[in-house]
Amino acid sequence: MIRSKTPALCAAIALLMSANAFAENLISTEKIEKLFPAESADSVWIDNPFGNIEVVGSDSPGLAITAIKTVTGPDRASLKDGSEQTVVSFEGDRNVRLIRTILPRVHNGPWTSSVSYTLRVPRTVHVKIASRIASRIRVANINGNVTVNMFSGAIILDGVAGASIINTTNGKVLYVYRQKPSTNAQIQAVNADIDVVVPPDANFNWIADTLRGDVVTNLPVRAEFLGSAFRGTVNAPGGPTIAMQTLLGNIRILGAGLDTRLVQSVRESVTEPPQRPVTMQSLLMRPAKRIQLPISGGPFDFSASIADVEVGEVRGWAHVQTAAGEIKLGIVYGDCTVTSNGGPLDLGDIMGTVMASTDAGDVLVRSARMGGKVSTAGGIIRVLYTGGPLTLQSGGGDITVRQAAGSINAETRSGDINLTADPLQRTQHIQAHTLQGNIILNVSPHFGAEIDATVLTSRPDANAIRSDFNGLTIKREQVGSKTRIHATGKLNGGGDRVELFAEEGDIHISNVATSPVTVMSPP
Amino acid sequence: MSECDFMRENMPLLLTESLDPARRELTHQHIERCAACSDEWAGYRETWQFLGALPEVEVPAHVKTQFLANVEPPLRRLAPAESRRHVTRWLAQAAAVVLVASGAFYAGHRSKPIELKEQPASLNSYSIAESRVLPARLVSPNIEGRPDIENVSFVDSNPSDPDIGLSFDITSHVTVTGRPTDKSMVRLLRYVLENKNRAASPSRSRAIDWVRTLYSRPENAEPEIAEALANVLRNDSHEGVRIKAVETLNRMPGGASADTRGALIEALKSDPNPAVRIKAVEALANLAHSGATFDSATLDTLRQKAVQGDENVYVRVKAAEALSSIHP
Repeated sequence: MIRSKTPALCAAIALLMSANAFAENLISTEKIEKLFPAESADSVWIDNPFGNIEVVGSDSPGLAITAIKTVTGPDRASLKDGSEQTVVSFEGDRNVRLIRTILPRVHNGPWTSSVSYTLRVPRTVHVKIASRIASRIRVANINGNVTVNMFSGAIILDGVAGASIINTTNGKVLYVYRQKPSTNAQIQAVNADIDVVVPPDANFNWIADTLRGDVVTNLPVRAEFLGSAFRGTVNAPGGPTIAMQTLLGNIRILGAGLDTRLVQSVRESVTEPPQRPVTMQSLLMRPAKRIQLPISGGPFDFSASIADVEVGEVRGWAHVQTAAGEIKLGIVYGDCTVTSNGGPLDLGDIMGTVMASTDAGDVLVRSARMGGKVSTAGGIIRVLYTGGPLTLQSGGGDITVRQAAGSINAETRSGDINLTADPLQRTQHIQAHTLQGNIILNVSPHFGAEIDATVLTSRPDANAIRSDFNGLTIKREQVGSKTRIHATGKLNGGGDRVELFAEEGDIHISNVATSPVTVMSPP
Repeated sequence: MSECDFMRENMPLLLTESLDPARRELTHQHIERCAACSDEWAGYRETWQFLGALPEVEVPAHVKTQFLANVEPPLRRLAPAESRRHVTRWLAQAAAVVLVASGAFYAGHRSKPIELKEQPASLNSYSIAESRVLPARLVSPNIEGRPDIENVSFVDSNPSDPDIGLSFDITSHVTVTGRPTDKSMVRLLRYVLENKNRAASPSRSRAIDWVRTLYSRPENAEPEIAEALANVLRNDSHEGVRIKAVETLNRMPGGASADTRGALIEALKSDPNPAVRIKAVEALANLAHSGATFDSATLDTLRQKAVQGDENVYVRVKAAEALSSIHP
């Protein structure tokens, strides 16, 4: 039997339509025009949080402004409210003409509003624009100075001959020179791409600085990198300076009419072959990359400015160096050297010696079979297993070693140190030092050691040395304003030296019967 | 059976080093990431150590005689060939008695207060501190003065039960039990977190670990706990504690209050520890991703951080990434 689906379909369509009708907002627009007489201003300032702005220079005298106020809301009352609270204001005098949109400091009501401005101004005026979000801000045919501050959107400067300063966060900047640049320009962005088009025979000094993006051009340049900043001259030395900085965006400078297919990366052309050790400066010259690799068939040698690196398995030694980024390596069959100027490190099973350091961020090492050295200028260090002597240093943060089958030297400026000796070890050399924090040393009941533990504290009642073992002699003495608690003695008849030092913290030597973790052989 | 139950079954074997390597590793990993099981494991170890430290008490003569009387006659009746097997059985029984006795002691010790009966003066004396268990609903949420509390520990004996316990020493050992959202429990935790001059830092450090496990669950979201963590982030001199505080704030639902955001911004601006700054900017980026609106001061700080030449590059990149997902 075939059942008709029409009623259900009709109901669904009706429902969708009604939902759409409910969801649909009402829009009202209002056009405001204003004309100021000839010689009306030297400078024009526009402050408009939301909405497009177009400023076009003209040879005609006078200042003509058209503002279109758009309010969106669910009902007429909201539209009225929004329209009343969105005020277009014309202020200033003949020196500075200020045009601004005034919005309530606290926005109540379900409406949104924006104002689009179109201005015809004398070509010679100076223009200053402040905006938060706009699809587009365009300034064209202006000989005066131009300043634009905005958060997000496209900024287009077309035929601006005066000096210019642009500050933006997100979006894009397009600067088209109709004539050879004759004044300085400074463009600073965070995430925006910056494109500049100049006459092909223009000569100027060029500074381009991007951390993660690339710097490309199809013009002849002579350049050098200083860190992440590229400094060079285009065509010939001399001329104004055009400075561009964007943190994560790309920078392009193109000759008008030249083949855009000829653009080349300045960064790659300047980059030198890898040398050891790579300095921070030369590291920042390298392009940013993102590596995700399941297996590296042989040794893995990688360096980049900003890079997130993730490799599952390295069948050889690994050498990774970045200026910033997250580094994650799974199994490394040889020695592993990882250096980052910032970012967390996550290392798996390292068969050889591990040498890992970061200027900022946490470090996790699952297994350092041959020991090594792990350091961070600030962050938590966690090592699940070490089979060899291991040095750990943190500029501030806790240090934890869950099972140490080799000697340990752990030091943190501020943080707790928690070390657990391999229960199969009868004795091992351990050094732990924290300038602010506690030390917990977990050893097996049979662990032999010569203990030298010190607590330096301004709160002797709260901080102490505790030991689950007998045989320690504890002395207290006043050192300046602090109390020094010093415990010495032998555990289980003595063994390697164990030196513990904690300032403003406790020391606890704990007797634990834990089972050793078996580190499996790689498949 | 839940994962926690399974792991807890492994704990006695872990204690006696009887687990196979794979299960041993698995159990260790679980204990490390599960606060409740971590506490449970600490309890096991504590009990184990306590049992080890108990003095050996001589078995009373009449018990010994009666026990041997019950055991000896069958032994005497046995043929020499069979006696070895029965000796083994006797040893096994003795071991079982010991196990049952220690198990009963352990169960009693863990589940209810030890009742002390009068003992002859010649026996070893035990010093047992007074211990009280108070339901949170009976405790006033207002903490008077600045009581000196020490040895703070956390109890979640049954993860399936929403009740938790917070133990500490004051004039006696007190355990307050209740729901994580009980006002008294929240206030107590807040006091422990913020009271850096009284509670020693291991307590605060552990408290933050515990708070992270407990209050990162949406049903336990508590603005007061977020406020307390924000204060820790602002004021604590212990960098390890600040790192944990900012990490926890990052994971807490409802951590987007103005106060929390202010603390994150302050940390990003001026905390000397780069790890704190990284985690602060990551927390702000998460807030941005979740659609939180930021005021212009926050945007300015992020922007300043992104372009600050002497700041760590990773922090700058993270600040820029946070900005890229903000829509003011």
